[in-house]
Amino acid sequence: MAEVKPQKVSAKVWDENAVARHRIQWCPGCGDFGVLAALKMALTKLEITPYEVLMVGGIGCSGQIRNYLNGNAFHGTHGGALAYALGAKMANPQLKVITLAGDGDTFAIGVENFVHICRRDPEVALVIMDNGVYGLTKGQHSPTHGRGMDIKEWSEESPPPFSPLRLALTAGATFVAQSFSGDPKHAADIYVEALQHKGFAMVNDFSPCVTYNKFNTYDWYKAHVEEIPAGHNPGDPNAAWELLNDFDRRGRLPLGVIYRNPRQKKAHTRLPMWPEELQETDVRPLLEMFR
Amino acid sequence: MGREGITSVIVNHLKLLVGGVQLRDGVVTVSDILGRIFTRAGLHVLAMERGYASTIYGAHQYDPIVVAEEPPVSWGDPEIDILVALDYDSNPDAKEQPNRDTILRHSKYLKDGGLLVYDSSTGDIATDALERRGIKIFPIPARNIARDELKRDVVKNVVTVGALFRLLEFDRDATHLRALLEERFLRKGREIVELNLRAAQRGLEVVESVLKAKSWTDAGYRLEPRPTKGPMLLLSGNDALSIAAIRAGCRFYAGYPITPASAILEFMEEHLPKFGGRAMQGQNERESIRAAIGAAITGVRSMVGTSGPGLSLKVEEFGVSGMSEVPMVIVDTQRAGPSTGMPTKSEQGDLFLVAYGGHGEIPRIVLAPATQEECYTLMIEAHHLADKYQCPVFFLTDLNLSEGRKVVPESFFGQQAVRIDRSTLVRESDLRRDGSYKRFALTPSGISPRLVPGTVGGVIKVTGSEHDERGFVSTDPAIRKAMMEKRARKMEVYLNEDAKPPQVFGKPEGKPVLVGWGSTRPLLQEAQQRLRARGVETAVVHFTHLWPFHTAAAKPLLEKASAVIAVEQNFSGQFADVIQTYCLIPVRRIVKYNGLPIYPSDVVGGVEQILRSGAQHVRVGVEAPAPVKVSEGD
Repeated sequence: MAEVKPQKVSAKVWDENAVARHRIQWCPGCGDFGVLAALKMALTKLEITPYEVLMVGGIGCSGQIRNYLNGNAFHGTHGGALAYALGAKMANPQLKVITLAGDGDTFAIGVENFVHICRRDPEVALVIMDNGVYGLTKGQHSPTHGRGMDIKEWSEESPPPFSPLRLALTAGATFVAQSFSGDPKHAADIYVEALQHKGFAMVNDFSPCVTYNKFNTYDWYKAHVEEIPAGHNPGDPNAAWELLNDFDRRGRLPLGVIYRNPRQKKAHTRLPMWPEELQETDVRPLLEMFR
Repeated sequence: MGREGITSVIVNHLKLLVGGVQLRDGVVTVSDILGRIFTRAGLHVLAMERGYASTIYGAHQYDPIVVAEEPPVSWGDPEIDILVALDYDSNPDAKEQPNRDTILRHSKYLKDGGLLVYDSSTGDIATDALERRGIKIFPIPARNIARDELKRDVVKNVVTVGALFRLLEFDRDATHLRALLEERFLRKGREIVELNLRAAQRGLEVVESVLKAKSWTDAGYRLEPRPTKGPMLLLSGNDALSIAAIRAGCRFYAGYPITPASAILEFMEEHLPKFGGRAMQGQNERESIRAAIGAAITGVRSMVGTSGPGLSLKVEEFGVSGMSEVPMVIVDTQRAGPSTGMPTKSEQGDLFLVAYGGHGEIPRIVLAPATQEECYTLMIEAHHLADKYQCPVFFLTDLNLSEGRKVVPESFFGQQAVRIDRSTLVRESDLRRDGSYKRFALTPSGISPRLVPGTVGGVIKVTGSEHDERGFVSTDPAIRKAMMEKRARKMEVYLNEDAKPPQVFGKPEGKPVLVGWGSTRPLLQEAQQRLRARGVETAVVHFTHLWPFHTAAAKPLLEKASAVIAVEQNFSGQFADVIQTYCLIPVRRIVKYNGLPIYPSDVVGGVEQILRSGAQHVRVGVEAPAPVKVSEGD
C-alpha cells in the first residue's frame, strides 16, 4: 500500500460518502451540527483526505457524526471508541484517527478507556460532544450533568458533575482543550491544533442538547464561556491547573488549549499485513528455544 | 513401550511426579531440568497436568511427567512409578509436619515396587507401610547438602536431579547436565556451573550409599538415550499456538493477565516485535479485545487470548466482530469456572459461551485443538478462517493443553505448508474508483471484499448496528433480512468448504462410540485400547471443528453407533447437548469436573457402567464412577 499523501481537497469532498444532509438525525439546533461544521473546516484546512481518516464514533447522537461526513468510520460498543482507535492507530500510524463521542460514552461507560488512553498517548484526537445528558435515550443524566446548577444537596443517585479537563490532566493527557460548538470557527481552530498534536489530544466541546438539557443552553454557555487569555502558557502544567482553578473560582468555562506538552515517543510503522510482507516469516529461532 | 532388562529393570517407561511447596521447593525447576534433558536424550516426555495453585507461595504443587521411548498415547492414570518429594519441614520440632504434603497426597498412587525420593534434611520419615509394598525409599538430605556443604541453598534442586539421574542410571558422565548448566549459568561464571555439578555429584553419592546399605543392585528403572532424526522440542500448547499465530501473520496481539493465558501475552510481548508486530497488555479485558478489533479494522491479522472470566468480559465484542465483519481470533484457554472458579484447574466448560455467548445471532467459528501439534496447525487455520469469513474465530484450549508440555519433533513444524491468503482484502490497485465499492456487498457467498482504511480511492463505513451495503445504519426490513442472511450464508460456505469432519478411530457401525473434543482425544484413544483388551470394541469420533456444528459429517457416523457416549470435562456434557440438538440422536455422557484430568480408567469405568446398566450420564472423579439418574424413566 502506497503511503497516503495529503492532496489539496475542496471543502465539498467531505459531503461525499456521507448521509444526505436532509437525512441527518439530529434535532434542529443540536450542538453537534456545530461540531460537524468545525470538523469539516479543520480537516479542509489541514488538507487531509477522506481516505486517510478513520473516525471512531461512540454510541449516542454524537457518534452518528461519523456518517455525516466523508472518511472511513467505525462504530462498535458503548464506551469502546477510544480503545478501537488506540488499536487502529497502533496498527497503522499513517491513519488520521479521530474519536467522536459523547460525555456519557467517554466519562461513564468508557471512562476506563479515557483514563488509560491519556497515559498511552497514541496520536488520536478525541472530540467529546459534551451536553450533560444521554440524549438518544431521552435525557438521562451523564457525568457532566449539573454543570453550573445551584444545587444545595447532592445524593448518590444524582452526584455533582465532574471535570473532564481535570481528569485528563490527572491521567496524564498531553493535550487538553475545550471548545464550544456555538462558535464553530473557534472550535475548528482548536481541532486543527488537536489534529496536529503528536499524541492523544482531548477536546471537550460544549455541544448543547436542545431537547433534553434545558439548563446548559446556548445562551447559558455564551454567558459562561471565556477564551483563555493570550498570555497562558499551555506547556506549563502548573499554569494549566492554576487556569482551571481561576476559571472555577470565577464560575467561568475556559475555551482554548489549556495544556499541551508532547511526550518523547517511540516511532512505529504500519504493521505488516500483506502476503508479501508475511509469507516468508521464519519462526525457526522461536522453535529452537524449546530444544 | 518399555523394555524389560535382564534384571527386570524397566527401561524407558515410567511416570514420575515431582511435588513440593510452591515457589519454595523448586518443583518447576526440577521438572523443567528433567523434561529438557530427557527430551535431548531422545526420550518422549508428556507433562500435561500442571498441579499448581492460584497463590504465589506456600501451596502444594506437583508436576507429573510421563517418560517413554515412543510417544505415549496419553497421560495415563494417576499411578506413578517414582515420587519425588521436595518438601521439607521448616520447623522440625513442630508436632505436625505439614510439609509432607507430597508424600501424603501422592504416595497412595505409587505403584508397588516404585521409588520414593524425598528431602530428608529435617529428618527421616516413617515409611514402613510403603516399604511393605516393595517401594524403595531414598532419603536425600538435599537442602542440608546445599546449605551446609555447598553454601548455596538454591542448588538443592540439582542435588535431587543428580540423585534421580543415578537412580535411573542416566547421564552417568553428566554430559547432558553439564551442557544445560552451561547454557543457563556460564554467563554468571564457570564456578556456578561447577558448583551445580558438585551438587549433582553429591546427590549421586547419597543414592549410591543407600543402594549399598540396602544391597540393591539397581532401583528397578532405567532411562537410556535414544537416537532421534533431528532435534526434538519440549513445548506447551501456549508456546505452539503463539508461534503458529506469528507464522500465520498475526501482527497484533492484546491480552490481560489471566491464568492460563498470560504465557501467550508474555510470549507475544517478547517475540512479536521481532516480526514487526506489536503486543499490548490491555488495562482490562475489554480494552484488549477492542484494541485488537481496532487493529483488525486496518487489515492487520489480530488476536486476543484469555480464559473464562476474561472471555465473559469480552462477550460484547463477539457481536461487534460478527456484525461489523471484522476478523478476530479469540483464544480461550479454558479453566474451571464458573466465576473465578478454580483458576489453576483445567475444564471444558466454555463451549456454550463461545458458541452461543452474546445477544443476537452472528456467524462464528469454534475450533478446538487436541494436542500441542494441533495448537500449531489449527491456529494457522484459525487466522485463515477469520480472514476469509470476516468473523470471530474462537480457539478453545484448556489449562492442561495450554500449559502442559509435550515432545514434538522440530521437523514437524517445517512440514506445515503455510500460504497466507488475503484474497478477501481489496488492494488499492484493484479498487474501481467510481464510488461503486460497497463494504457489505450482498454476494452469493456472503463474503464481501474488504477495503481497509487508508486505501486511496475508497472509504468504508463500518458499524455494529444493522446497516446497508455501504455500511450506513438501517432498520429497513428488507435490508435487515438480506444482511442477516448474508452473514449466515458465510457459515454455509464454511461448512461446505472448510469445516473438517471429525476424526474417526475404529469403525462406528454397531459399536459404542466415544465422542470427544479438544484435549481429550489422547485419553479416548488410550481408553479405546484398554476397552479392546477387555473385549469391548469401540470407536472414537473426535471433533476439532465444533461450530457451526457439521451435522452432515457427524450424523451419518453417529447414527450407526450402538450408543453415542460423549466424554467431556464439564458438568453437563455441553457438546453432547449440541450433538443431540443437531443430530437428533440421544447422547450418553461421561463427565468429570473435579479439576483433575480425565484418566483413561475413568472412561473405561464409565463405558462399562453404561453398557452394564444403561446409565445416561456418568459422573466420574469420585472413588468409583457414580451413575446419575437424570429422569424417572432411566
